[in-house]
Amino acid sequence: MKKAFALFLCLVMMLSLVACGGKPATTTPTTPETSAPKETEAPATTPETEPEKPSNVPQLKGPGNVTLKRLGYNTAFDPNKDINAQVMEESTGYHVEYFMLPAENADEKLLMDISGGADYDCVNVTVNQFRTLMAQGGLQPLDDLLDAYGQDILNSGHSEEVWNALRGEDGHIYAVPYMYPCDHEIANFMVARLDLCREAGITEMPTTIDGFYDMLVKLKEFYGDKYIVLSGPFYQASEANEAWAIPKTITAAFGIYSDWMVNDEGKVIYMTEHPNFPALVEFMSKLYKEGLIDPDWAVNTESTLKEKFSSGKTIICCGNRGLGDYAMPALMENLKLTWDDLGYITALSGSDGTCKYMETTAFNFVSCVPKSSGNAADVVNWWNLRLKDDLHITIGDEGVHFNYDANGGIDPINPIFAEERGNSYWYVDVTSATWGSQLWPARVRKSASQWHAFSAVTMNADTDRIEFVTNEFKFKPATEAYSKYNTTLFNSLKDYLLQVMAGIRTIDDLGTFTKDWVNAGGEEVRTELQSYYDSKK
Amino acid sequence: MIQKKKHTGVALDASEKFVAGLAYVLMTVFALVAILPCLHVASKAFSKGTYVAQGAVWFWPRGFQLETMQYILFQTQFFTALKNTLIVTFVGTFVSVVVSITTAYPLSKPNFKGRRVVVLLYVFSMVFFGGIVPAYMVVQMLGLLNTYAALILPFAIVQFNMFIVKNYFEGLPETIEESARIDGAGDLRILVSIVCPMSTPVIATVTLLYAINYWNNYFHAMMYTQSTNMKTLQVYLYDLINSGAGFLENLTSGGLTSGSISPNITAEGLTATAVTLSIIPIIALYPLVQKFLVKGITIGSVKG
Repeated sequence: MKKAFALFLCLVMMLSLVACGGKPATTTPTTPETSAPKETEAPATTPETEPEKPSNVPQLKGPGNVTLKRLGYNTAFDPNKDINAQVMEESTGYHVEYFMLPAENADEKLLMDISGGADYDCVNVTVNQFRTLMAQGGLQPLDDLLDAYGQDILNSGHSEEVWNALRGEDGHIYAVPYMYPCDHEIANFMVARLDLCREAGITEMPTTIDGFYDMLVKLKEFYGDKYIVLSGPFYQASEANEAWAIPKTITAAFGIYSDWMVNDEGKVIYMTEHPNFPALVEFMSKLYKEGLIDPDWAVNTESTLKEKFSSGKTIICCGNRGLGDYAMPALMENLKLTWDDLGYITALSGSDGTCKYMETTAFNFVSCVPKSSGNAADVVNWWNLRLKDDLHITIGDEGVHFNYDANGGIDPINPIFAEERGNSYWYVDVTSATWGSQLWPARVRKSASQWHAFSAVTMNADTDRIEFVTNEFKFKPATEAYSKYNTTLFNSLKDYLLQVMAGIRTIDDLGTFTKDWVNAGGEEVRTELQSYYDSKK
Repeated sequence: MIQKKKHTGVALDASEKFVAGLAYVLMTVFALVAILPCLHVASKAFSKGTYVAQGAVWFWPRGFQLETMQYILFQTQFFTALKNTLIVTFVGTFVSVVVSITTAYPLSKPNFKGRRVVVLLYVFSMVFFGGIVPAYMVVQMLGLLNTYAALILPFAIVQFNMFIVKNYFEGLPETIEESARIDGAGDLRILVSIVCPMSTPVIATVTLLYAINYWNNYFHAMMYTQSTNMKTLQVYLYDLINSGAGFLENLTSGGLTSGSISPNITAEGLTATAVTLSIIPIIALYPLVQKFLVKGITIGSVKG
C-alpha cells in the first residue's frame, strides 16, 4: 500500500510540474502580448473617402484579402447559407464566416470562447454580455479605428448618451450601437374580438380604466361563462420594457410604468412604493373576484394564452404584435374573422387622466471586437460599408423587394421580401439613429397581422393622452447589486401580485413583502440606481 | 386438425387474480404515460398549423400535412446535425469500446503491477470532476475545439463502463487463458480471440451505454463546437426549440399574405417534427438492443 501511495504522489508531482511548466496560452486576451491589435501589411484596398489616419491605427487588409469571423446570437437558420450572407458579401466585398452562440448557456459559452482566445473578429452581443467582456479586458478600444474607418458610424446621429454608454472606465469606446428600433412603441396591449363585442353592444374600444371595467362587466353579463372575458398575463417583454403579472395597459392608468421609477422629488422608488400601487392591486383583485379575468391567470403561459385566443375561447387577450401572427390564421379559417373583427386596447387613462407608458429606447445589441482579433480595422470598415448600404442590405431594392407608399413609407413586396430579406435582421451590427423610423417599420409591415396591430397601437397612438416616460436607467452600466438581486426581486414582485389577485395574500401583506424585499437586496439595488440617477444630473 | 395447446399453469386464487389484474392496469397506465406524450408530439408534427395553434391536436394528427416535415428536412440543418451525431456516435462508440476493453483487461489481472494505483486514479477521476472550465481549456489548448475529436476524446472512457467490463473479465475462468497461453497465444491474441468472444454480453451492454451517451451529449457538444456545420442533433434541437418562434416570425407573413412559409408551419409544429425525426433512430435501435440494456443493469455487478 505504501508503495502504491508513493507512486501516486510521484504521479501527482509529475503532473503538477508538467502543468506549471507549460507554455502560456498565446491567445489569452488579457496577456499584454495579444492585447494590441496586430499590425498588418500595407492596405490592398482603401476606401475612397478614407480620411487621414493616425500612424498607430492598424492598416486595412481590405475586402477580398481577409475572411472575417462574426459571432452572433442564436437563430434557427444557418447564417452562412442564408441569402443575406451573399448580399452582405456582394455589398461590402468582405467574405465573412458566421458563428452563433447557443440558445442556452450563451453567456458561459461566450466568456469561455473569448477568454480562450477564439479567433472571432467581431461579436454581436447583448449589453450585459458586452459589459462583462469589457470588464474582463477582452475587447479592443475602437476610437481610433472609428475615426479612421468608421466615419459613417460616428456620424449616424446617435446621441452622446448612447456613445457614453459604450465607453469603458478608461473613456474609450468599446462597441458600436444596434438600437432597439422604436423609441415609443406600445409593445404590450390587448387584442379584442370585435365581433363578440358588437354582439354585446360594445362598438368602441375603451381608453379609460373605468370604460375598460364597464366593458368587461358588460361582456360578462352578456356571455356569462361561455367565454373567458380577459385572458393574460403576457410576459414576453420588449427591450427595456419588462412585463409583469399585471398588463401595462392597466398599470398605465395608475401612473405605474416600470418596476423601478423616479418620483417627482428625484427619488428612486420601487413599484410597490408608488402611491397608486394599492389601488392597482385592488383593481386587479376585484377583476379576479368578479370573474372578469381568466381564472388561470396565475398559471397561464404564453403558449396557453395564444391557444385560448386562437381557439376562440377568449374575447380579450393580452399580447404583443406577434400575437396576430400566431392566432389570425386559425381565427380567419375556423371562425371566419376578418381584420375588422379585431380591436386593440392600448394604454388606458386613469380617472384623473393619468396614462404613463415607458419609452422603449434601448440597445438591442452592441457589436465589439475581441482583443484576439487581428482584423479590427477591417471589421470597422466592414461595419461602415454595411451601414452605408443599409437600405439594400436590410430591406432590399425598390421595385423588387419594396415600393414606397404615398407617405414615403416602405411597403415590402411579398413573398420575395420574406424570402430574400426575412433574415436580414440577424446581420445587423450597427444602426443609424434614423433606421428605426425609416427602415425598421418595413420589417413589421411584411407581416399583415403585425402591421395591423403596430399601426393601430403605436403609429396611431394618441400621444396627447399617453405620456411616454423617459426610462432613466436605459443606459445604466451593469452594477453588482442590480445584477445579483434584481431578477429575484422582480420574480417575487410577480409572485406577490399573482397571490394578491388570487386572494391568497392581501394588500395588507405589503409590509411583509417590503420586509422580504429589503432582505432580498432591494435597498442595495435602490442605492445603486439612486447614485446612478444622481450622477446623471 | 391442429389443436391449440392449452397453456396450463397454477390456478390463481381470487386475491392473486386481483393483484395480477391490478398489475395489468398499472402497467397499462404506466405504458400510456410513456407513450401518449410521444404520440402527442408526433401528432403535432403532422397536423395542420391552425389546429396546432389552437391546441386542438391530441393523440392523432388533425388536418394531415407533410409540409413541416419537408421544411425540417430540406430547409434546416437537420441532415448536417444528424450526420454529425451519427459520426460522433459511431466513431465515438467504437473508440470508447476499444479503449474500455484494452484498459479493463490488464486491470482485471491480479498480477498487473500498479493495478491498485491505476484503479485508484480511475475511481478518483470518476468521483471528482475538474469542472467545465479546465476541461474547456484542455480541449482548447490541444487544438481540438470545433472538431469531431473534441466530441469524442474527452468521453473516450467512462470509468463506470470500464469497471463493468473489468468486473466481467475478472469473472472469466483463468484456465481458458492459461491453455491458450500454453498453445502459444500472446496477450493481444488472447484478448481478441478468447476474452472478447466470451464477453459479448458485456461488450454489447457498454456499446449501448456509450452510444446513448454520445447520442444524447448536448452540453459538451455545445461548448466545444463553434461552427454551424458542427452542430449535433441535440444542439440543433435545443436551438430550434428556443429560436424557432422568432425565426418563423421573421420569415412569415403569418400565413396571411403570400409569405415564403406555409401557414401549416408553426413554431410548435417545427419543434414537434424535429423531435419526432430525431427519436426515430433510437426507437428503431431499442427493440434490437434492449435485452442487452436490461442485462447491463446487473452484468458485472457480481463478481463470479
